Amino acid sequence: MKLGKRSTLLMGVATAVLLTTAGCSGGLLGGGGNSTADSGPIKLAMVIPISGSSAPTGAYMRNGAQMAVDEINKDGGVLGGRQLELDVEDEACDAQQSVAGANKAVSNGAVVSVGGYCSGATLPEIPIFQKADIPMIIPAANSQDLVKQNANNVFMINGTGKQQSTAALTFIKKQGFATVALVDDNTSYSKDINTETRSQIEADGTVKAVLSTSVTAGESDYSAVVRDIMGANPSLVYWTGYYQEGGLIINQLKNAGFAGKIMVADGSVDPSLAQIAGAGAEGVYATMTQTPETLKGAEDWIANYKKAFKSDPGPYSTQSYDAVRLAAKAIDDAKSTDGKAIIKALEAIDGFQMFSGPLKFTPERTLSSGGFVILAIKGGKFVLEDDLS
Amino acid sequence: MSQLIWDGLFVGSFYALIALGYSMVYGIIKLLNFAHGDIYMLGAFVGFAALTSLGGIPASLSIGALLVVMLVSMLLTGTAGVLIERLAYRPLRGAPRLAVLITAVGVSFSLEYGVSAIAGPNPRAFPIRLEGNVFSLLGARISLPQIILMLIAAVLMILLNFYVQKTSTGRAMRSIALDRNASLLMGINVNSVITRTFFIGSALAGAAGVMAGAYYGKIDFLMGFIIGLKAFTAAVIGGIGNIKGAMLGGLVLGFVEAFGAEWFGGQWRDVFAFAVLILFLTLRPTGILGERVTERV
Amino acid sequence: MSENVDTTLAPRMTRPPSSRLSRLFESRQLGWVALGIAVSAPFVIATPYALNVMTTAAIFVLLASGLNIVVGYCGLLDLGYIAFMAVGAYTSGIIAKAFDLPLIFTIPAVLVMTVLAGLIIGAPTLRLRSDYLAIVTLGFGEITRITANNLTVTGGPSGIFGIPGLLKIGDFDLQSPAVFYYVTVIIVAGFVLAAARLGRSRLGRAWRFVREDEDAAEAMGIHTYRVKLLAYIFGAIWGGFGGLLFAAHLSAVSPQSFIFLQSALVLMAVVLGGMGNMRGVVIGALVISLLPELLRDLAAYRYLAFGLLLIVVMVFRPQGFWPSLGYEPERRKPDIPDPAGATEASR
Repeated sequence: MKLGKRSTLLMGVATAVLLTTAGCSGGLLGGGGNSTADSGPIKLAMVIPISGSSAPTGAYMRNGAQMAVDEINKDGGVLGGRQLELDVEDEACDAQQSVAGANKAVSNGAVVSVGGYCSGATLPEIPIFQKADIPMIIPAANSQDLVKQNANNVFMINGTGKQQSTAALTFIKKQGFATVALVDDNTSYSKDINTETRSQIEADGTVKAVLSTSVTAGESDYSAVVRDIMGANPSLVYWTGYYQEGGLIINQLKNAGFAGKIMVADGSVDPSLAQIAGAGAEGVYATMTQTPETLKGAEDWIANYKKAFKSDPGPYSTQSYDAVRLAAKAIDDAKSTDGKAIIKALEAIDGFQMFSGPLKFTPERTLSSGGFVILAIKGGKFVLEDDLS
Repeated sequence: MSQLIWDGLFVGSFYALIALGYSMVYGIIKLLNFAHGDIYMLGAFVGFAALTSLGGIPASLSIGALLVVMLVSMLLTGTAGVLIERLAYRPLRGAPRLAVLITAVGVSFSLEYGVSAIAGPNPRAFPIRLEGNVFSLLGARISLPQIILMLIAAVLMILLNFYVQKTSTGRAMRSIALDRNASLLMGINVNSVITRTFFIGSALAGAAGVMAGAYYGKIDFLMGFIIGLKAFTAAVIGGIGNIKGAMLGGLVLGFVEAFGAEWFGGQWRDVFAFAVLILFLTLRPTGILGERVTERV
Repeated sequence: MSENVDTTLAPRMTRPPSSRLSRLFESRQLGWVALGIAVSAPFVIATPYALNVMTTAAIFVLLASGLNIVVGYCGLLDLGYIAFMAVGAYTSGIIAKAFDLPLIFTIPAVLVMTVLAGLIIGAPTLRLRSDYLAIVTLGFGEITRITANNLTVTGGPSGIFGIPGLLKIGDFDLQSPAVFYYVTVIIVAGFVLAAARLGRSRLGRAWRFVREDEDAAEAMGIHTYRVKLLAYIFGAIWGGFGGLLFAAHLSAVSPQSFIFLQSALVLMAVVLGGMGNMRGVVIGALVISLLPELLRDLAAYRYLAFGLLLIVVMVFRPQGFWPSLGYEPERRKPDIPDPAGATEASR
């Protein structure tokens, strides 16, 4: 194809304009872009859902992290006086947006990542942060798939799906439930706990998994799974999905006259669960890491949170708070903002006090104990039922 | 087995209520109102807003309150349907199908995310809940709320059928569906009849929305999307444009889904429903009760 | 008049463009200018974030140009277009991961699978009326996503991750962000050019004929079914390559990326830009994919704005912001009132 005179001119002008601006900014010709400056605030990336159906949890996480940042900054910051700054990016639980968010955070010069809620959206972030030598302290996402990546920069401070399943099985045996039905909502997180619990139940042998099935999230009518459960007639139903569908299934099970007990996983621990499920929610168990409400001695923390954000803390507020504190500690230990040094510092941490107990990472960079406890709904609220110790 | 049939019938009656609106509008102006499922969602949220503004309702009054709220919601969603027709569809009445369909997608988006912007993206728990005894009939567990809701649905459908078959407006609707030009010549006010059609179809969907809120207890701004698709499927199965067909199609789809979920597992239910839609459209596009339409050029 | 006769979507343009500006916009070399801008953009800003956003935008342009073949040229409303992207992304991802191949070697498989997908979706549905088609394609889109979510070969709900890069020879890695951006731009430019050429070919004319009046086209000896199927298959191939680039770009594929919203966004790009006009569609795609990145904080209102925009555009400017020209002027005397009432009543 022949280039016309006009277009050559246009193209030339365009290129010239672009090239002249190139010198003064982060273009390909303009030197290296990644500035880990030695002064100024230290940025922590937090890629979490701000929009979409998981947005409420994103807000809890952001507030928890912000609270830690404010406290640390008030106490003089890190590395002898440098302030922390939280860089929150939206991922909407979508891989494409989380990759964009992670890249944006890297471009902004983040030093440590303290986000990660939806496992499916967190997975593709790993290579991006890994390439930039940025350690990821993941406060919430806990799919076994994240562990399987075996990436040297991934540290998970929420219990893994495996640990949650172990806690569930411990409680099931303790309470003497003989038959269990496992139901997930076909999301990465939920299916992970379902399969993990099933394989542990089968390996253990004392309890029987009479049903293991999935439903489609986002519907209203779950009569199919209710039929299946009524047919299998288990003494316990373990719902491993989120609260939206969990509430509906609990309600429909109770309306169908289900007499057994129901237990939910941590994704369903939300005040709305009891509202949606109605009267049937009373006495529902949950496997969950400690929430501020169930922790002894967290009253001050809750009061501070309420003062700062005019709302109650929610799921993963504490984990996000701890993630930021842990990041600050690691930066101080490493005496630098260099990613490799911070990763070393994180690996070496022993006994750092968190809401879930003293921290020491396993070789897989997960918590040595998940810190899972059993909650139960009493009077429409989750309260501690059994700390499994 | 009888449980399966009952569950299918119950879900099917919801589909039928929504499918009616789809089918009526399509029968009369050949418009596929993509946003119809979102009217159902709108109905649920209007009911939610009405009930929360009323404040605490004693449990004993819940059925009465529900009926009142349902009427309010039907009025408002009906009006919303009329407004949508006036603002988005009427200006395009002579336009190509493609343009109208894209507009309908736009209306659907606007309703969904408009509600999400006002009421927030989180699911809401419906303020009143129909609760009642469960009893067993021929081996199926049947609850009182289910019977009440199915009765309401049946009454609405019978009223509609009476309206379309016996009143002059109903006759006008049927005549427009047959031949709009001739109706115009016979002195029928076509625009006003179309407005009424939209009102009735949207009001039925709004009623279904309130019923779903009260029965299931959870509403969210995307609840109309899948059910809209299912209602369309039901309308096609019964024969689109045919009112009795829509009712029949809803029930048939309810059955088919219940059996599909039983055989293939719950996570394949939607796949199964859409596969049935595609099968019907390829093998018998006129549906069960539809008549063969000769295409005139 | 029959059910499936649509009045034209084409603008009623009876004069050649008069102003200098509009002639400039119709200039054939505009594509080169766009390419020039795309090539030089990284010299201005090359942070990983900027490169990521630009690469995503380029892939989106590819998708929009593919959907333009189906919707813009042929007038078939496809509400499940993202399914083709899913097929391409999963095919390349699964094969590359299973055999540890660079993604580039999965191109033949992607081609075969997307053509198959186009045939499977198109063959039973293309005999249907256009509005049925819209819903059926939507159903197919959902079927594809749910199936990917349920099967183990597609990795279930987590999808597949750790997909190898496009190509790596020694130290030369196509996966480094800047290089990958250029590779994407070149591939996308090729596809966009091909789509534009297709639109001007004999087949393209047949597509437009089918869009304007299917019965007349049939009467003139055009095998409308075959022509429509071809539009579908071409659209599928474009989508499949979009999927391949998507898989290479993110190194992960999960069902969440193929929801109905994504199909709607691609459609939005085509409609806003101007159905049938490749330049308009490219601009539309850039706006749709870049705007949310610029307005990240307004995420909650973005879809509401898109929905309202769709209605407004269809009501006031149904040909899109930058419609295609070059249609036969309509032969109607300007002083006779538009008989819209009559034609409307007969549909």
